[in-house]
Amino acid sequence: MKKIYIIALAFITINGFAQVDRTKLPSAAPAKEIQIGDYEKFTLKNGLQVIIAENDKLPTVAWTLSLNTGPITEGDKSGLAGMFGQVMRAGTTKMSKEMLDEEVDFMGASLNVGATSMSAFSLSKYSEDVLKLMTDVLFNPLFPEAELEKVKKQTITGIASSKDSPDAISGIVSSVVNYGRNHTYGEITSETTVNNVTLTDVKAHYEKFFKPNIAYLVIVGNIKKKDARKLADKYFGDWKKGDVSIETFQNTAPIEKTTVSIVDKSSAVQSVINITYPYDNKPGGADATTVSVLNQILGGGASARLFTNLREDKGYTYGAYSSMGASRYSATFSANASVRNEVTDSAMVEFMSELNRIRTELVSQEELDLAKNSMRGSFARSLESRSTVAQFALNTALNELPADYYAGYLKRLDAITADDILAAAQKYIKPDKANIVVVGKADEIAPMLAKFGPITYYDVDGNVFDPEAAKAAVSAVDAKTVVANYLKALGGVEKLGSVKDVKITISTSVQGQPLTITSLQKGNVMSKQTVAVSGMTMQESVFNNGEAKMSAQGQSMSVPPGPQLDALKDQSVMFPELYYEKAGYTLQMTGVESVNGKEAYVMSVKAPTGVESKKYFDKVSGLLLKEESAQGGQEIIEYQEVNGIQFPKRMKLNIPGLGLVDADVTVMINSGIADTEFVVK
Amino acid sequence: MCMLRKISLFSMFVFLSVFAVQAQNIEFEEYDMANGLHVILHQDNTTPITTVSVLYHVGSKNEPKGRTGFAHFFEHLMFEGSPNIDRGEYFKIIQAAGGSLNANTSNDRTLYFQTLPSNQLELGLYMESERMLHAKIDSAGIATQQEVVKEEKRLRVDNQPYGSVIANMLKNAYAGTSYEWAPIGSFEDIDAATDQDFIDFYKTFYVPNNATLSIAGDIDVAETKKWIEMYFGEIKRGTKEIPRPKIIAPKLDGTVTETVFDNIQVPALIQGYRMPPQGTDDYYALQMLTTLLSGGQSARFQKTIVDEKGIALAVQAIPLGLEDGGLFINFAIPNQGTSVEELEAEVDALVEQTKNELVPEREFQKVKNQIENNFISGYGSVQSISESLANYHVYFGKASLINTEIDRYMKVTREDLQKVAKKYFVAENKVVLTYRPKAEQEKPEDSKIKKEGGNR
Repeated sequence: MKKIYIIALAFITINGFAQVDRTKLPSAAPAKEIQIGDYEKFTLKNGLQVIIAENDKLPTVAWTLSLNTGPITEGDKSGLAGMFGQVMRAGTTKMSKEMLDEEVDFMGASLNVGATSMSAFSLSKYSEDVLKLMTDVLFNPLFPEAELEKVKKQTITGIASSKDSPDAISGIVSSVVNYGRNHTYGEITSETTVNNVTLTDVKAHYEKFFKPNIAYLVIVGNIKKKDARKLADKYFGDWKKGDVSIETFQNTAPIEKTTVSIVDKSSAVQSVINITYPYDNKPGGADATTVSVLNQILGGGASARLFTNLREDKGYTYGAYSSMGASRYSATFSANASVRNEVTDSAMVEFMSELNRIRTELVSQEELDLAKNSMRGSFARSLESRSTVAQFALNTALNELPADYYAGYLKRLDAITADDILAAAQKYIKPDKANIVVVGKADEIAPMLAKFGPITYYDVDGNVFDPEAAKAAVSAVDAKTVVANYLKALGGVEKLGSVKDVKITISTSVQGQPLTITSLQKGNVMSKQTVAVSGMTMQESVFNNGEAKMSAQGQSMSVPPGPQLDALKDQSVMFPELYYEKAGYTLQMTGVESVNGKEAYVMSVKAPTGVESKKYFDKVSGLLLKEESAQGGQEIIEYQEVNGIQFPKRMKLNIPGLGLVDADVTVMINSGIADTEFVVK
Repeated sequence: MCMLRKISLFSMFVFLSVFAVQAQNIEFEEYDMANGLHVILHQDNTTPITTVSVLYHVGSKNEPKGRTGFAHFFEHLMFEGSPNIDRGEYFKIIQAAGGSLNANTSNDRTLYFQTLPSNQLELGLYMESERMLHAKIDSAGIATQQEVVKEEKRLRVDNQPYGSVIANMLKNAYAGTSYEWAPIGSFEDIDAATDQDFIDFYKTFYVPNNATLSIAGDIDVAETKKWIEMYFGEIKRGTKEIPRPKIIAPKLDGTVTETVFDNIQVPALIQGYRMPPQGTDDYYALQMLTTLLSGGQSARFQKTIVDEKGIALAVQAIPLGLEDGGLFINFAIPNQGTSVEELEAEVDALVEQTKNELVPEREFQKVKNQIENNFISGYGSVQSISESLANYHVYFGKASLINTEIDRYMKVTREDLQKVAKKYFVAENKVVLTYRPKAEQEKPEDSKIKKEGGNR
């Protein structure tokens, strides 16, 4: 009987719930007060400012040291800051990198060093152990040369790999157009600037900036304030203060009109659009909170105008956003999306229309409320992370904000009106004074983008590249003249014709092992190429009057007619340029480009055999600077004269799979190479 | 000096091993509703926020062939609204309430989560119940999301260096099974689908008996239960059978290799060894091997290949754990001047070492300490707690593993590591992808030389 009763009750309750009115959103319960946790801040005698935020939710502790270095302009040593931390982290005078890594990892901890900060993190049971290691690195860094060489190599590989990423390219070109290459924010790290960095530079950075009087130590986690104070004093108390000269930030000239910068990435399936410009918005400034609400409405997330329009309404992109940061020096506006090639202009139209609309029309109350609520929620959620309160304290100190700045945040947010947003938009949103940067397939997208402003082309390194001027320069010169100038620069047709045989030895090293490529050529009909590693022949090819063989690691085969035989035939010609006309080569001037800072004519060369290559001739000297083909390529860094003829002396070889390697070249002319060298069995 | 150093390391080891593993105690309550919906509640009133997660036990492996990408596509469709929530309003409603929300799809499951101010919990429950009860699946939403998903694929896969690694790995390692394709799927399959296909998929998988509702944060348990009953109670249990494909991957016929020519300038080597399903003893041992090889600066890959030999920009062991299998992935990018082949030989040598030599005691303890640290510091937010509780329930039927899974790691011995290395790091289990710049592609004569053992 009792059972039945329960079932009946359950039936009734379910019925009751079925009457939920789903057409109305449930209303919110009364909001709970949002409390910013407390922290403690004090200064050691040496000027080190310490912020402690105690939180026992997880049994872990984080130590962060931040240096208020001001802007750091690196000039021709750009990349130093990026590499600095790894070198400083590579061991101390007491402990090799290997030992240090071992000790850190053994605790399951982490220890990171950057150019303007250091941090350590561990379970709280190891907090003093990890602090010991952190301060050993801080006070006794070894700065091993080998680590610098290693990080240079990695950085250079990283630069090459970032050129694959359209987002990275967009970032580089955006900073160049916004700030200029010589500005702190527009500097570009290249292989050259990385190689300019010496150990002395690394140490100088350390000596200059690692001082307690510009430093903040932030301690967060499961540690008693009293213990934290004691440890801070014990481990940082003896740190010597020093004068630090802080660089003055150079303000950039405002942008006068909107222009378009295009970077060609012919393999791109999407255009990366970035509408950007520098602007002034200091943290804690009068408009700072209003600007963040403005950005929230324009493009701050999935409910904002840009996302709703370009993704949800049009399906042009996976996401369209804007960002309007605040900075003590210079803030940067950005509105961006990756869109498929064919809608690049349509997407641009929508971007520009949204930027103009928010400047001319009041935002609706609904949008304003949405943005404010969303930011209120985001503020509340941010307080879950225990580092937030410490971050607030640090920002307050760094930006010299009033002590109650963050406590008053919600109140400031509430007070913002639609009129405030309009005024801020008119002041800070500048569609007519912006840099539009688009990375994508230029021949498809450039014609569509002309209507948004005059177009400038950039290469992936952020250099201006002028296809029109290149075309004009090309039309002013014909391939025949370029070839003639080259032959003249080498030593003259007569001299070149007198060469009977050439032996060229290219020495390089791969992986610490010497690699030698020896090339013999005789009478333009015989050739032999040998590749040897550590003196051991790895591979050999011989061509003799239309026949050829190749051998590799003990195995040998004759080369059947086909593209490979054709390539070997071409290789037997000592100075092919002498015969371009006679042998029916197809030559075409394709442009003017810069090779290692030198202007070069670019010529595409197609041999009668169909083998294609691209050659770059120095505009001034006439000499060949660079050559590329499907087999790889080479850059000639320096020439040498041998019997009155110019030959490469130092080169960079691009070997497929190995990348660029440096090589030295020695040459012998008319040494009487015997025909027996060229036997094809 | 050297002697002293040794002593101090030794004493430190003794000192550390005295500590027991840090205990973790995340309390929760769980129950099944009449319609099969599994509910997990974790109360933590520290911050006035709450995460509501719904995990549907459907991923790309549940897709029929010819409809790849469906599970992920659904993830997008589920934001299109319901009879009571207009198109485009879903995000807005949550954000207007001060919440954040997102979703993601794997081969095994689809997760939706929103973190709200705790006074908006009822709204969060209403919103999730709306799309479980009657999500809007119509042509307009499908058409827009088709374009959006294609842009997502272009962004994340096609326009990204090495973006297609996972897809190529799965294709080779799990050919002939439902792990053969990545969650992003194919454009063609999504385009070919009819509206009815989508509705069928929804009715099969988006049912309460295939879902777990996991709530963590500042809640009142009794009130929360009341609201859950109110909003989810009326949703009917699914009537269709839920397909759960078995992944039976036949032994590979020796190492499978593929060269991928991509829009990259720096080549990369990616090795994958097939792993046993997550949660098995061997799986935990293999996870520990990934930490041994690449967890931290002193790990073997980093120490030998990056630091000592200086031949790689990066080498990482990245485990892809799945419900019915998985991949032990080694991803290596050579420095300029090093060939992929040389790098591969070094990676292989370190992998071989784990088969041939027992891991030294101290190094083994280090790996355990690292795992302990990751385990503990991973639970700093209510969102991570709610997701983990749901995962542990769905994959292992045991949400309490949130506190005790660490014991399964600690049970693994050094001998186990060697045993699993020998068992899984074998040719019949191995896929090697070489990513090379497209510029190298148009050279048939070059690849010929390579095959014959040349070394250009």
